[in-house]
Amino acid sequence: MASKDRRLAEEIAFHIEQQTAKNIRAGMAPAEARRAARVTFGGVQQVREATRDEMRGVWLRDFGRDLRIAFRGLARVPSFSITAILTIGLGIGAAAAMFTVVDGVLLRPLPYPDAGRIVQLFQIGEKGTRGANVSDPNFLDWQAQTGSFAAMAETAVYPQTVTGAGEPQSLRVAVVSQGFFDVLATRPTMGRGFRPDELQRSGAKVAIVGAGFWERWRGARPLAGDAIVIGGVQHAVVGVMPDGFDYPQQAVIWTPREQGRDSPSRTAHNFRVVARVKPGVDIEQASAELSRVSRVLKARYGTGTWMADAVALPLLDVISAGVRPALRLLFAASLLLLLVACTNVSNLLVARAVSRRREFAVQLALGASTGRVTRQWLAETLAVAACGAAIGLALATVAVRAFVALGPRSAPRLDQVSIDWTSIAFAGVIALVAAVVLSLLTAWGTRGAGIADALTDNSRTGSSSRRQMRGREALIVAQVALTMVLLAGAGLLARSFAHAMAVDPGFRLSDDFVLDTSIELPGDGAGPRRAAMQDLLLARVRALPGVTAAGLINAFPLGRGQFANGTFIEMSRVDEITKMEDFRIDAPQFASRTGDAEYRVASDGYFEAMDIPLLSGRLFDATDAPDRPHVAIISRSLAEKQWAGRDPLGRFIQFGNMDGDLTGLRVVGVVGDVRESSVEALPGPMIYVNARQRPTATSSFSVIAHGPAAGALGGPVRRIMRDVAPDSPYELTTVSAGLDRSVGTRRFNLSLIGAFAAAALGLAMLGVYGLVAYAVSQRSREMGIRVALGAEPASLVRMVLTHAARLTLVGSAVGLGLTLLASNAISGMLYGVTAVDPAVLMSVAATMLAAAMAASYLPARRILKQPPGLALRS
Amino acid sequence: MAARLDRETEAILQGTLDMLVLRALQLEPMHGWGITERIEQWSEEVLCVGQGTLYPALYRLERQGLISSAWDTTENNRRARYYKLTAAGRRHVTRELASWRRLSRAIDLVLRATEA
Repeated sequence: MASKDRRLAEEIAFHIEQQTAKNIRAGMAPAEARRAARVTFGGVQQVREATRDEMRGVWLRDFGRDLRIAFRGLARVPSFSITAILTIGLGIGAAAAMFTVVDGVLLRPLPYPDAGRIVQLFQIGEKGTRGANVSDPNFLDWQAQTGSFAAMAETAVYPQTVTGAGEPQSLRVAVVSQGFFDVLATRPTMGRGFRPDELQRSGAKVAIVGAGFWERWRGARPLAGDAIVIGGVQHAVVGVMPDGFDYPQQAVIWTPREQGRDSPSRTAHNFRVVARVKPGVDIEQASAELSRVSRVLKARYGTGTWMADAVALPLLDVISAGVRPALRLLFAASLLLLLVACTNVSNLLVARAVSRRREFAVQLALGASTGRVTRQWLAETLAVAACGAAIGLALATVAVRAFVALGPRSAPRLDQVSIDWTSIAFAGVIALVAAVVLSLLTAWGTRGAGIADALTDNSRTGSSSRRQMRGREALIVAQVALTMVLLAGAGLLARSFAHAMAVDPGFRLSDDFVLDTSIELPGDGAGPRRAAMQDLLLARVRALPGVTAAGLINAFPLGRGQFANGTFIEMSRVDEITKMEDFRIDAPQFASRTGDAEYRVASDGYFEAMDIPLLSGRLFDATDAPDRPHVAIISRSLAEKQWAGRDPLGRFIQFGNMDGDLTGLRVVGVVGDVRESSVEALPGPMIYVNARQRPTATSSFSVIAHGPAAGALGGPVRRIMRDVAPDSPYELTTVSAGLDRSVGTRRFNLSLIGAFAAAALGLAMLGVYGLVAYAVSQRSREMGIRVALGAEPASLVRMVLTHAARLTLVGSAVGLGLTLLASNAISGMLYGVTAVDPAVLMSVAATMLAAAMAASYLPARRILKQPPGLALRS
Repeated sequence: MAARLDRETEAILQGTLDMLVLRALQLEPMHGWGITERIEQWSEEVLCVGQGTLYPALYRLERQGLISSAWDTTENNRRARYYKLTAAGRRHVTRELASWRRLSRAIDLVLRATEA
């Protein structure tokens, strides 16, 4: 543009020079000639401006000017502008923040080359249940008999104690089969992958580690013969994965599956299976082939395999499945809030448009085209929306950071979410759409306000003002309806949260001390050695002042331990089954004697410390030594399910498939049910075995001590751990910490929806306030006349309030209808209430009405204060 | 027609300036001043091109792709911006002239009929 300006200046100079020359030729004196030339040319500046406009094009020129005027206009009415901009900014901020999270967690492809072709393979049972864990033989058959996959691999992740790299720590160690790195198409950035000679049982022990682990351990140093100890076994570190690579399940270390134990049983479901679909094959085709192969396998093995069918699903969908419903709901809620904000701004704009009607009318009467006036209006709306988008993005940046910090841990990739260009583009598009919609809404809201009307308008008449009043009322109804949906959602979630918090988990919720740790010992006889260490640990803890009971369990309720479950067989005598080959749940002689249960290993003192009630029989005690008969304690629900009406005490159970020990178990006690996986999930049947007698599956465990507050025990317990198990990583927590974790996501969703609903309610109150205030000011003359004629001012206030209440009720009714329509979306997240819970919906409607009344009362009260004469004279 | 001004010149009718400029450029490339002079000369000093409208018109036509411009030197060795018709401009002016002639003939006929 600057070069064009220079060009124009030179052209004008040349022009004036030529004119001067002409004037001189005509006989003028040079000075006079120059002056005359300038006069002939006219205003140099005007010519420049007119020409400059032509350079840009008319529409853009006008629109640029409109925008300038719009910003100037907005600056003149700061109260309007600030309210409108903050309101729309709030809406855009919420929507942009939620969009950013949804985009980062659900939509963005996984960070692997051609990630759209990576799938996870699931077994499907006869009843249609999908099983993520697959048995080794089924996996091998899939691998051999399908042709749609370029690579397929098994994975499993175990938390294991890692030493030799700083402090002992419990890390997620993945076991991956050959082909894993091909499936993800990702290689170590430093070092190498596993060599063929390492992919067998006898191969040298090797591990590949994550970039984060490596950096904390060795910094920027290159790989050079480093080694770590995993579960007591030395592993050579041969490679370092790229930064951010943590598949599967946030693994930190990868070791070859081929070096692990064989898993020859077709019903032992131990591995997840991922695969990469060949180019040119789509996922549905691959899945169909997998299904065909699996059904053939079922036909061949019958009851020998649980799998009846199989399916391949995109890995991204599988990973994000757990958080998808909640994120969708939150995103929808943010859009609702945006809509509420838009109706509010629209209401403000209508009010402003009405107050500027005369100004527009004058412009139209002076010859401006309607398009021109509309464009100016659009420019102003756009200016509001643009400022709102800027504020909204600032808000969203903060909100996304908070979401990442506080959001559910189960949301994959949440830690990588931040505001980026996609979010900015989204906010921009939203702002643009909002501006257009707002302009249209405003045009609709002010319809009927014709030019002639406006020019002759005085507030005495005003059928047009009544019509635009109706437009504003419709906006308020819409706003109340949308707010109701959000309030209802928040109410239902709050009710669910209260229900979840009120659940009795079956044990004492307290600040009692819990120690999560693991003792991993390599080699034979690890179990008894560990049991001895645990005995020592418990003895020391029990000796601490104030401790009245202490015990341990291998998977703490509502905690993070490794849960195990399976099928047991009730035996007629303690030694009916002594060999694994005889443990056949499909054998006819056992058919009526099998049952399913959770499997836990606990010590004596555990039930006392947790206050889990003993219902009959006895608890574990010091007499239950390894060489004594093995005992089991069962939960009430198992007693009722398995031995309904009969006494379970003294019965024999074979549950050796859990730990490989086929010593028969005798039931000695029945205890109360405990909620294990979450407070919402009903307690399942449970078998507890004794930690001293069955120490195989207790490498990771939790110690709980009842008595003094957890804080007082921290120091002494650290000393005990240093003495007893110096190589074990541990974490100190409390009994109720598990509850917090269990309801954490619920609490988070509730607070977010609650915040959206509160914001919407605030906006709706603002909207109602604005409408009533406007109506009161419009009708001040009428009110004045009525009061002058003897009407009670209080009755007029009542009239105004009734009007607002009627609008609110209509809006609430519409909102309730919408809520019922949307009930499917939220029902999956509810606990203890249905989506159509009348108590919640009624109280939400009452809240809405009360809020609207409060918002109306302030402006309505003005009627009382106004001297009647004033309105008449004005 | 509007009443004559004292100087016996006519303001150019809105919308016709573009056509006059294109017509002037039909013969040869010219600078802005030249176009002014040419139009006044052709109209026997009746039409006066206001500078406030000439340059905007030139930039507009250039933006529309009907004319293009380049620096050149005048016969007096003075640097000036010369405008010339583009191919599109040439087609445009031919079309516009034909339609203008039809229109002005029609108006002329009407005026003569009412004079009679």
